[in-house]
Amino acid sequence: MNTAATKATLLNRIEGLYQIPTIPAVLSPLLRYLQKPVEELDVQKVTAMIAQDKSLAAQCLQMANSPLFGRWQKVDSLRGAVIGLGFHRVGDIAMSCGVLNMMHKDCGGIDPVAFWEHSLGCALVCRHFARKISYPDPSKAYLAGLLHDLGIIVDLWVLPKEFSAAFKVARSEGIPLHEAEQKVLGFTHCESGSLLAEKWELPPDLREVVSLHHNLQQSREHAGLVAVVELSDLLCRLSGLNYGYIENRQVNLLKQTGFAVLSQQCAGLKDFDWARLTFELDSYMDEVHSLVRAIYRT
Amino acid sequence: MKELKTQTLHEYFECLTIKPMRQTELVALLNEITIGETCFFRSQPQLDAMRTIIIPKVLVAKAKFPLRRLRIWSAGCSTGEEPYTLSMLPLEEAARRLKDWTIEILATDLNERSLAHAKNAIYGSYSTRNLTPYYRQKYFMAVGEQLQVQPAARNSITFSRLNLSDDARMTFMKSLDVVFCCNVLIYFDLVSKRRVIQHFYNNLLPHGYLFLRHSESLYGVNDDFRLVHLPGATAYIKGERTQAGKQDT
Repeated sequence: MNTAATKATLLNRIEGLYQIPTIPAVLSPLLRYLQKPVEELDVQKVTAMIAQDKSLAAQCLQMANSPLFGRWQKVDSLRGAVIGLGFHRVGDIAMSCGVLNMMHKDCGGIDPVAFWEHSLGCALVCRHFARKISYPDPSKAYLAGLLHDLGIIVDLWVLPKEFSAAFKVARSEGIPLHEAEQKVLGFTHCESGSLLAEKWELPPDLREVVSLHHNLQQSREHAGLVAVVELSDLLCRLSGLNYGYIENRQVNLLKQTGFAVLSQQCAGLKDFDWARLTFELDSYMDEVHSLVRAIYRT
Repeated sequence: MKELKTQTLHEYFECLTIKPMRQTELVALLNEITIGETCFFRSQPQLDAMRTIIIPKVLVAKAKFPLRRLRIWSAGCSTGEEPYTLSMLPLEEAARRLKDWTIEILATDLNERSLAHAKNAIYGSYSTRNLTPYYRQKYFMAVGEQLQVQPAARNSITFSRLNLSDDARMTFMKSLDVVFCCNVLIYFDLVSKRRVIQHFYNNLLPHGYLFLRHSESLYGVNDDFRLVHLPGATAYIKGERTQAGKQDT
């Protein structure tokens, strides 16, 4: 197979993007609305916006009842969720459901649930990690973690067979997925993701995360956010929040570019218990697995 | 206390510290309070990492050594499930990677009763609950309703009683490739913990690995070891010191 020619063909197909679903219609206005100062936000309005999409509303309610989002008492209405969890937590939940809904459900022999789990798991770990090291915007870190693998969604829609071949190489050799993609496709999900991120007009920081989370050295403007995602993504891939296979390798997080970048930006990282973060991440695993599976069934 | 007919904690404390029987009583007390709960193949990710990543790395690191020996220490081996499990891993590699290698597994514990159980190598259904049919058939034989570890998996293990706080004896546990110390450090205060970990550090070879229980961390205990992430598990490796005495990261 001529990799260069294949790459050009595949990227052309991606650029067409005609098959890819868009973000659910209610999400864009909702997220725009949530940018306003909290004192200007109205519970009724947020509830009404989400309720326009019945399936999204049902999924949001399911997620809002997960301990992953900090709610230990049962929430039985969207209004209750907004009041109990706060506007931004509900925004995170709605966005998570929106992204999960975009995953192609028939992926040429690949279980899409694993990719859902990885994205949601990575979002939660990004937020948790960001808080622990006093990174200034944990909510943005959540969104960045959720969207970092946008390219996989694109690939699953546009080139399921080719992506599936790359995935099988990654799984059988126990190597990182982006390395297998480079070998088999000649490009990685970072490139396909960046095309969609551009088309969706995502803000520059999130676009940088999508396109550079496996190539942090090239990050300039938003290296801190990309670094949070790089390290969280790595932790997830080495734990039970991976893509459904084990990467067979040993990693020293302190030797990652992300660590060097964040050490200069976040004082909290100088004295940091990485082992503890890993155990805390493990405590998410079962919840993420059962939540994603419950939503997938609805 | 009842057996010794002591009335108060203070009297019992004297039995442990002053009276001639103090050594015997201390061992008896430790036997009562330090029984660990464990089973075969307790942490599969740790064992997978050991087999697929660590053993190959150790072999590369030791390629130039004339002595082809892999030395693993199960520190706080309790009733023996951990060292027997560890002895089965190299046996699985004996025909390939570890052909012509000598495997030494040192298994130590403070509790004499646990060690006696370990040497006997007979286990009930609770301890053997994680065994796959493959391992059950290959390395065990039935003894009534229980299972006994076959000699092949027992030959490489040396059991001995060791107090990890015994500095003099700890210094002799040399030339180790891997140390497993799971569910043991919880019994130590910070100062003792630091001392024990420093012994592990000194006794491991430069490429050596330390495994702790999944939720144990060396944060605030030791700065010399470096945490590494393995698939589904974490371990500690020896950091390299720079000239300034600080460590590379």
